[in-house]
Amino acid sequence: MQPAPAQLSVRNVRKSFTGKAGEVRVLDDLSFAIKERDFVSIIGPSGCGKTTIFNIIAGLLDPDSGSLHYRGEEVESLRGRVGYMMQKDLLFPWRTVLGNVLLGLETRGVDRVEAEGRAREYLKGFGLAGFENAYPKTLSGGMRQRVALIRTLIMDPDILLLDEPFSALDYQTRLYLEGVLKDAVETYHKTVILVTHDIDEAVALSKRVVVLSGRPARVKIVHDIEIDAPSPIAARSDARFSGYFHALCAELDIQTEKSA
Amino acid sequence: MPGAAPLPKRKARRSRLSLRFDTPLGRAMLQTVAVMLFFALWEIGVRMGWISAFLVGSPTGIFGFAAKMIASGELLSDAWYTFFEAILGFVIGTIFGSLLGLALWYSVFVARLVEPFIVAINSVPKIALAPIVVLWFGTGLVSKVALSVSLTAIVALIAAYQAAKDADVDLQSLLISMGADKLQVFFKAVVPSTLPSIIATFRINIGFGLVGAVVGEFISSQRGLGHLIYTASSLYDLNTVWVGLFTLMIMGFVLYYVIDIVERTLLPWKQSNTTHQVQV
Repeated sequence: MQPAPAQLSVRNVRKSFTGKAGEVRVLDDLSFAIKERDFVSIIGPSGCGKTTIFNIIAGLLDPDSGSLHYRGEEVESLRGRVGYMMQKDLLFPWRTVLGNVLLGLETRGVDRVEAEGRAREYLKGFGLAGFENAYPKTLSGGMRQRVALIRTLIMDPDILLLDEPFSALDYQTRLYLEGVLKDAVETYHKTVILVTHDIDEAVALSKRVVVLSGRPARVKIVHDIEIDAPSPIAARSDARFSGYFHALCAELDIQTEKSA
Repeated sequence: MPGAAPLPKRKARRSRLSLRFDTPLGRAMLQTVAVMLFFALWEIGVRMGWISAFLVGSPTGIFGFAAKMIASGELLSDAWYTFFEAILGFVIGTIFGSLLGLALWYSVFVARLVEPFIVAINSVPKIALAPIVVLWFGTGLVSKVALSVSLTAIVALIAAYQAAKDADVDLQSLLISMGADKLQVFFKAVVPSTLPSIIATFRINIGFGLVGAVVGEFISSQRGLGHLIYTASSLYDLNTVWVGLFTLMIMGFVLYYVIDIVERTLLPWKQSNTTHQVQV
């Protein structure tokens, strides 16, 4: 089998911020590659610059040096081609559920009737039919994040950038939405980069896990996860699950056994 | 447990009086009673000679004058004139100020450049401008509207600019990541998020609109409630003064609730069915 070509490669990216305490180097010579239809999780200690990587890929920040390559071509950023989802659902409170889902298509200038038709289809597919005219504040956290996911998917982005999208939700809702995400990614053939604090979630969802070192962030190691489970819940009962889990904990220097 | 506070005893949630009257009808009844009591005490005070009718007027006198002035159409014509000036000043000032404040979001450089000037203009008591405004714009309608505009525009400008600065940066970033340009970020994220603040300034500005109109009429005019109050008070005709004041009060009162309706129509996403108040 031929190795899959990289869809996105991040090469030698450096970024530092100037704060009150002087210059802080957040990313130092960071490189990694994402394959087509990859599902990569990025884990690492808090504040190691995971969100900064996303902001650079999405075109919200410029790197100090280094480059991004998309399908072999050097690009400035993937602005307009990525679907960015954050921990906060970032639904626009003055827009209804339908209005929120239409946001991206509107900015792209898609015909209103066509866009609405597509939006209603997606809402139905994700079990939100009947909530089109509801305002976000009347919905539960899980429903709001589902709306945010639809808003992301309907844009048909090349790559999904998910920045701890489920960390503000309770465990049951999170498990449920992990399943929704996994199904959606397979249905729509998306490439996903997921930033998470949750090792368990990373193993259950990903094909690969990139472990970053503390600040400045460098790639410490990349683990391939070879669990072929139909759902994230099933993945958690796979025989290899706990092996991966403990290996990743060790990489992050989390004490897994009580020291004497 | 030493020093632990005693657990609170179970108590009735509300006192009996507020339980019985805390309905729209009950509140309206209490409010009416309070107003009637106020006028009754005033009338009794005047009749008994405790207070001077010459200096404070009397309710029966006020109502008598009001009835006469309504019948002659004089009150309505004055009220309408002042109302027109105030609304015109309010609308022009608020729209102009809000647009300017929003536009400052567009360029941080320009905004920082003009900020001290805005602060300086805001710190001038606009009422002090009234004599100049009359010199510039004459004694007719325009000078009153100009005074109202000078009062309302600056309030709207500062509120709109502040709200635009405070607009959620994450929502704007999300739009940018979707490929939106600055114009789209402005209209889809910034403008809608400033609407609640802008509408909140309507309440303040409707009052300022009236202040501008009345003060303008004080300085020089031939019509309007300000003119009515000013000329009557120079003749020690207190009852007529009160008629003018109460008419202004009713006008402001009605406009306040009109804005309430405007707010509810423009911000349906802000509505909640319950008022939340912490019980202490």
